[in-house]
Formats: sequence, structure tokens, C-alpha cells
Amino acid sequence: MIQEADIGIGISGVEGMQAVMASDFSIAQFRFLERLLVVHGHWCYKRIAQMICYFFYKNIAFGLTLFYFEAFASFSGQSVYNDWYMLSFNVVLTALPVISLGVFEQDVSSEICLQFPALYQQGPRNLFFDWYRIFGWIGNGIYSSITIFTLIMAIFHDQAFRAGGQTADMAVVGATMFTSIIWVVNVQIALTISHFTWIQHLFIWGSIAAWYVFLLLFGMTSPSTSGYAHHILVEALAPAPMFWLATIVVTVACNLLYFTYVAYQRCFKPMDHHVIQEIKYYKKDVEDRHMWTRERSKARQETKIGFTARVEAKMRQLKVRLHRKTSSLALQNVLSPS
Amino acid sequence: MPGSDSTAHRSKSRRPKYSQFSQQELPAFKLILTPGYVISTFIVVGLIFVPIGLISLFASETVVEIVDQYDNECIPKDFRDNKVEFIKNKQTNKSCTRTFTVPKQMKSPIFIYYQLENFYQNHRRYVKSRSDKQLQSKKNAAHIRECKPMGETDNKDPIIPCGLIAWSLFNDTYGFSVKGKDLKVNKRDIAWGSDKNYKFGADVFPKNFQVGDVGGKSLNSSIPLSEQEDLIVWMRTAALSTFRKLYGKIEDDLQANDVITVVVENNYNTYDFKGTKSLVLSTTSWIGGKNDFLGVTFITIGGICLFLAITFILLYVIKPRPLGDPSYLSWNRNSTPTPGR
Repeated sequence: MIQEADIGIGISGVEGMQAVMASDFSIAQFRFLERLLVVHGHWCYKRIAQMICYFFYKNIAFGLTLFYFEAFASFSGQSVYNDWYMLSFNVVLTALPVISLGVFEQDVSSEICLQFPALYQQGPRNLFFDWYRIFGWIGNGIYSSITIFTLIMAIFHDQAFRAGGQTADMAVVGATMFTSIIWVVNVQIALTISHFTWIQHLFIWGSIAAWYVFLLLFGMTSPSTSGYAHHILVEALAPAPMFWLATIVVTVACNLLYFTYVAYQRCFKPMDHHVIQEIKYYKKDVEDRHMWTRERSKARQETKIGFTARVEAKMRQLKVRLHRKTSSLALQNVLSPS
Repeated sequence: MPGSDSTAHRSKSRRPKYSQFSQQELPAFKLILTPGYVISTFIVVGLIFVPIGLISLFASETVVEIVDQYDNECIPKDFRDNKVEFIKNKQTNKSCTRTFTVPKQMKSPIFIYYQLENFYQNHRRYVKSRSDKQLQSKKNAAHIRECKPMGETDNKDPIIPCGLIAWSLFNDTYGFSVKGKDLKVNKRDIAWGSDKNYKFGADVFPKNFQVGDVGGKSLNSSIPLSEQEDLIVWMRTAALSTFRKLYGKIEDDLQANDVITVVVENNYNTYDFKGTKSLVLSTTSWIGGKNDFLGVTFITIGGICLFLAITFILLYVIKPRPLGDPSYLSWNRNSTPTPGR
């Protein structure tokens, strides 16, 4: 049974470890099952769903800019970024925030998960990994890639980009576009994550800082390694206000869409965990304990399937029949006293 | 039995040691986008972006730019149907005189660029066709692997600098004069310092350059590469097929309505591939050359943010949702209970 199930849970105990060895998850006592399902199951579903969607988004936003550039490079296969930038993208610069999303994200705390088991239903109802969401994230990635590419290309068109009169070559354009991508995807994940510990802050802002440090250190290597990235940050990019302004405007332009969507959804079409987050944030659970207890009890639905449910349903049926019989008997006694 | 020795027999608890990290209870900041935060974010972003956009736009407007496309006009009328032959013929007179008027006062330094269109310096095989090692130092003169077909002469003697990028060096020249007086063009410090100091060696001299098929400018073989600034500027491949490269600087002011006369040596063959050549004179501002796009983008994004702020305010005034209101929970919104799931 454990092997056949989608997720098999084994309980280690006096009967040995066979169930544990065959299972996907194992727990020590039966009462841990509640926590496993309602807290960890709920968190895990959301973490994985959000992480996968974000991962697609991030790589689409990055990869499509390379394709757009091909249209301007007569489809010769020239990449606008230095190879080292592309290598470090998925390994160093954007890996840690995704890990922090997939490992640490919590929409509500564990007490709330236990108090509101109905939140677990977001999983079986597949509210976070349906096709709308997947295509929405992919669309967000496509929109970001188009915005990044067109804005950077149009800003660094053919004129000088600095007061010293120098024009932008492929190395400058590539480095600026890459900087914008790093900013866009990391700010995007900051908007996706709702639970910020010091770990998330370190990973997200650290990744952005790591890019600048990487560009600086890479530029200090010999020109035979770094090519035109040699001293590029120190000499060409950092003193140019255009570099910083372009990064800022591209980041805001790309994230504005998602921010507006999320803001609209949260303000006017909130989901259950949004409402509960607000109740906790505004401490309404403390102010109005009655409402809090009532909602908690409504969030625990009586089971409608299984043996216990059938027994209880039968008992209710018999009670109703008994009640009817006794009330009709009482009526008969009243009507005909014989 | 009173006084049982339960303490001696209490089994050791197997509960793992508590830590905030392992129990996922680290102190956290919860990002909750309330309408207050959303509206204030939009307003702040809008109020920052619109002034920056206006300042950038203003800076771009102060830049004075003159663009003169001369590749067509600089071919004598007899050769207009046969431009490629004209340009390849070594005997024809390539000098051509252009005049234009300065529209507004241009303060020094005035930057001179040559602008090429339909020239794909970003083609992969073109970008590859160079040898950075050879450019760096004399001892790497034989490093010509990537430079084919412009790596070595027929006698297997390496070309320095090798590769298509160097071979196609732009070779039009310009001489400027205003009111009969020649304008001095400063051709120093037009390349990046790191290129001159690190990438192009001071001990590397051109050799066997443009000996066979001539593609562009020849180089003086007694000047080391680190001082050949035209070559250094040209070898930084451009990102797009329309690009400008710095030719030199004029360090005098030009007044409005000055008539500039330019003597152009129309040597470079862009006619084979229908490219165009233009001469550009431009001043710069703190933000660079003339491009309204940055300023316009900032103003647009700022404007969109302010518009969204107003929309959210209106929506919130018309259809407010009390925050933390439990009637928005899904089990309260469905008034009829759903038949068991």
C-alpha cells in the first residue's frame, strides 16, 4: 500500500522498520501525522509549486534575451554576454535565492496551519500549480525578457554613453543587460517570497552584490581570460550614470507588472492565507477572540468519507428516525388517550 | 507503591534538540502588501522617476548633434552606377568636400564619430577573428589560430595584428576647417585606458599588415599597437549593426551658424554590402550623447506608477475591502455548503 500510494508514510514502531524502509516519509508516532500533513505538506506544496514556476521564469527571462540578440547579429550565434557571465548565472548568482524559496518559505506559521486545516485544501485543489499559474509565470518571463532587451538596446543605441564621449560596444551592452537581468530576477523573487528571515535577505541581496563583486574580480584577471570585461566595471560602467539609471529603470519596468497583479489580487481578490495573514498582522485574532475561534472551528470539516464517517452518518440517521418515532408516539398519546 | 523510583527509570527523551532554524521558527519579516504600502510604493516610485526622467531628457536636449551621411554624395556622378569599382580602384580621387552649418553653439570638447550602418561587427565569426594573446605581447606573435583566414601571409609568416577585425579597419579620414581656419583634431585618448595599457602591448609592432587583399587602413609599422588608437577603438566590436566609433575630438568651441567644411577621404568600401557611412559631430552631457529614450522611459514608468496609484486609490474608495475581514475566507464566501469533497 505504501508503495502504491502517491506518497507513502511509514510509522516506525514496535513492529519493526519495514514500513519505514518502504515509505517516502517516515514518522515515529501516529500523532505526528497531523503535523506532517497539515503543516509540512501544506508548506511543501506551495514551496515546490512556487519554486518550479519561478525557475522557469528566471531562465526564460535570461535565455530569451540571447535569442533576441541573434536577430540583430544576423543569426550568427554570437552571444551578447561573456561566457563566464552565463556560466555563473545559474550556479552562483541566482541559485541561492531559489533554494531559500524552496526550503524556507512559509505563507502562514505552523500554529495557523494546525488551527486552520482547511488551508491544506489549497494543495488537493491544486490552486498553486494549475496551468493558469504556469503560463502566467512563463508570460511574465517573456515580458521581462522583451522589456530588458528593448530598453537596454534602445538606451545604449549608438550615441555616447558617457560624458567622455565613448560609445557602447558589445561588452558594455552585454554587461549592462546582464546586470539588469540579475536585478530583475532577484527583485522578482523578493516579491514572491512572503516570509523574510535573515537567510532570505542574505541570499537575495547577497546574490546581487555577488554579481558586482564577480564583475570586479573578473575584470581584474588578465585580458586573455577576461577579454573585453577587463576592468569594465571600474573603468567603463561604474562611472557612467547611464549604467546605473538603465539598471534601475529596467528593474522597475519589469517588476511593475507582477507587483500590480499581486497587489490587485491581494487587495481585491484575496485567497484564504492572505486573509489569515492580515488577521494576524492587524492582531484581529487578539481583538476578536470569538471570531477567531469560530473561524477555526469552521476550518475543521468533519470527515465525509471512510468507515468512521459512515458509522456516524448511520448513527445520525437512526437518531433522526428515533426522534420521529418518539414524537409521533407522543402525538398519538396526546390525540387518543387510550 | 509510594515513592516509586520513577526518576531512575525515566527513559531518555529522543526529541531532537530545539533550534529556531530546525523548527523553522526564525524571526521573520512578513511581506504583506496592504493597500497602504501598495499605493505609497507607486507614489514614491512615480515621484522619484518623473524628475529623473525630466532631468535626463533635459540633458539629452542640451546635446548638439550633427549627422551627415556622405557615402552616396562622395561618389562622383560618373561612378554612381558603379560604386564598388570606384572605391576599389586605387587611381580614383577619393577626396570629397562636405559642408554643413552648426545649428547651436557647441562647447568643446566636440566629439567626432564615424557612423556605419548595416555593418555586423557582432557576427560570431567576425568577433572570433582576432588573437588577444598576439595583441598583448611580442612573444605571442605566432598565436594566430583564431584569425583564419587573415592569420598569415602566403609564406606562412604571421600577420600582426591578425584577424578580420583588424584587417577591416576603417580608413576614411576627415579634415575640418571653419572660416578658412583649420580645426585641430585631437586623436589621442580616444581609446579606453585599459585597452592601451593592458590589451595592446607596447612591444607589438604591425607586420605583414594589409599586404595581400587590402581590407582597410594600413598601419605604420614603427608605431607600437598600444599607440595605434584608431585600431584599438575599431577592435572593440560594436553591439548592433548601426554603430558609431570615436574618431577624434575638437577642442575649440563652435558657434551657432558656423559653416564647417570637411575634406573627406572616402576610402572605405561599404558599397559591397550596401552599408552606409556618416560623419557625426556631437557634444556630450553628464549622461552622454543625444538619446531621449532614457528620459522618456523614466517619465513613462513614473507616469504609469502614478496612474496606478490613482487607480488603486479610486478602486479602494469605491470598492473597499476591510482588511482581515473573515467574510472573505472561502468557507464563508460560499453560502451554500459544497456537497462533500
